[in-house]
Amino acid sequence: MFGTASGDFARLLQRSAAGFDFLARRSGLEERAGTRWEGEAWLPPRFAPSIPRFDPVPGPLTPPAPTVDVHGTTVIAVKYKGGVLNVGDRRATAAFAVMYDRAEKVLALDDYTLIAISGSYAKAIEVVRYLRHAFKYFERSQLQRMSLDGKLSELARVIAANVPNLMNGIGAFIPVLSTYDLDRNEGRIFFYDGMGARFETAEYGAAGSGAERIRGCFEYVLRTKGPFHEMSFDEALYEALLLLEIAAELDTATGGSYKHLPLAKFIDAEGIQDVPEEKLRETLQRIGAGPATVR
Amino acid sequence: MVYTPYDFNEAVRHRAEYVEERLRSGSPVVGLSCRDGALLLSVRRSQRKIYEIYDRLMFSAIGHQGDIETFRIAAIDFCHQEGYQRSPDDVSAQRLVGFALSPPLKRAFGDTFTAPFVLRGIFAELGKTPEADAYYVLNYDGEFSVTYGYGAIAGSRYGEELMRTRLAALDGGSLTLQAALAQALRIWALGSRDEPEARGEDDEDGGRLLEGEEEFIDRTLREALAEGTVEAGILQRNTQRESKFRLLGVRELEPLLAPYRLPQR
Repeated sequence: MFGTASGDFARLLQRSAAGFDFLARRSGLEERAGTRWEGEAWLPPRFAPSIPRFDPVPGPLTPPAPTVDVHGTTVIAVKYKGGVLNVGDRRATAAFAVMYDRAEKVLALDDYTLIAISGSYAKAIEVVRYLRHAFKYFERSQLQRMSLDGKLSELARVIAANVPNLMNGIGAFIPVLSTYDLDRNEGRIFFYDGMGARFETAEYGAAGSGAERIRGCFEYVLRTKGPFHEMSFDEALYEALLLLEIAAELDTATGGSYKHLPLAKFIDAEGIQDVPEEKLRETLQRIGAGPATVR
Repeated sequence: MVYTPYDFNEAVRHRAEYVEERLRSGSPVVGLSCRDGALLLSVRRSQRKIYEIYDRLMFSAIGHQGDIETFRIAAIDFCHQEGYQRSPDDVSAQRLVGFALSPPLKRAFGDTFTAPFVLRGIFAELGKTPEADAYYVLNYDGEFSVTYGYGAIAGSRYGEELMRTRLAALDGGSLTLQAALAQALRIWALGSRDEPEARGEDDEDGGRLLEGEEEFIDRTLREALAEGTVEAGILQRNTQRESKFRLLGVRELEPLLAPYRLPQR
């Protein structure tokens, strides 16, 4: 009787397009009274997704001019002893223009899952909103947490549904997903390609235009300083912020920390937390990057 | 056969009696706000009783398990659709209860050809301050009411009123979580207190053996804890966690319950 008994948020959205009438149908009122439940008015069908899995907002028909698609740039995820750390610069660009210098590209999906996004800002933020609801909807309705594998598949589906955008050269995004695995007691990092293939990485993940420039730096750190997952939190934070600074110097689309502090969050067995501002400033000072004067 | 207005009144009365009878044995639920957040507390047997609905909403109910489930899922569906299509800020208990749940519940109750929902639910909504926390009580006939800072449901009208009176006398905003839990637990027991007329048992001499309120609470809690489990959920006001809701653990609850587990003096 209930289309959502499976806790599938995408199906809930689909069903709502057809009219939300669970109670009317239950009591048979709909047929007798010849009316539909007012609840239907919540959601005009034209706003409902048309692609089965994910396409919440059909976009207007606009030419793919470079300035319509704002891009988030560099995000980095590294393991440390006890969890995972995510850092990201604050810049969002459209072609050669800096559009925004307070972008938040490291976002919590639930108590133990962080997503770091690069690429089309509009699409990525929309996907984050969707996933937040999808994960929580499952947990709240099914009274159990969605498995890590379930979450990873949901994200893969969302990326796969976005392939037409990718082919049109607009609206592509690439996420890095970090989580703390409570069963294994360790942090885990996953990255995706544009088609939705997922890969687990042993040490680090990065995405965005700056990430390509500094890929070799990660390997250099691994070989000269040892694996990230054996570093202390402070060491890992130092390396991650230094890598971000290098990306900012080598990539025009990546913002440095001179104006706004980078975004930094970590996940350990206790859940997600922000890296305290003081800690960020102090670490940046050690790196020799002028700490942000503005928040 | 002609269906007259008299028949309708009669049918509705029978339905109300039918539902009230089934609700009577339900375990009450107490809602109380404190500094740390909004709290719902009850004592349950096997099934879970306090549920997260949305970012700032939780729910508990007495009634038929199947009906409770129907409304729990309906509430979750409504909130997640709204929260996603618009914003989580647009999801409120007032919209949920007033527009999404109450009208169809009333309609189902008035439809004498189907079984009525057996349900009395309470929705707690976390506000910015304890005084702004809203507790919506939704009844089987679609009626709903709201109180701020506290709320209660029970199987009987008398028990419910008694709980509300005691809750209203508290200043929840000044309480710590532990203090609020202790108060909520004692007020929970009052939810199953009988009306004064029904309370006094006639002894052999025709006198009345009245049990004081404190004694009644102690006895009720002893009995309840021997058979059931205390369940308490909180929506935390200031938390860094992505989810504000959590069920309180044994570690937090057991110190409060220990006194009622001691053998009777």
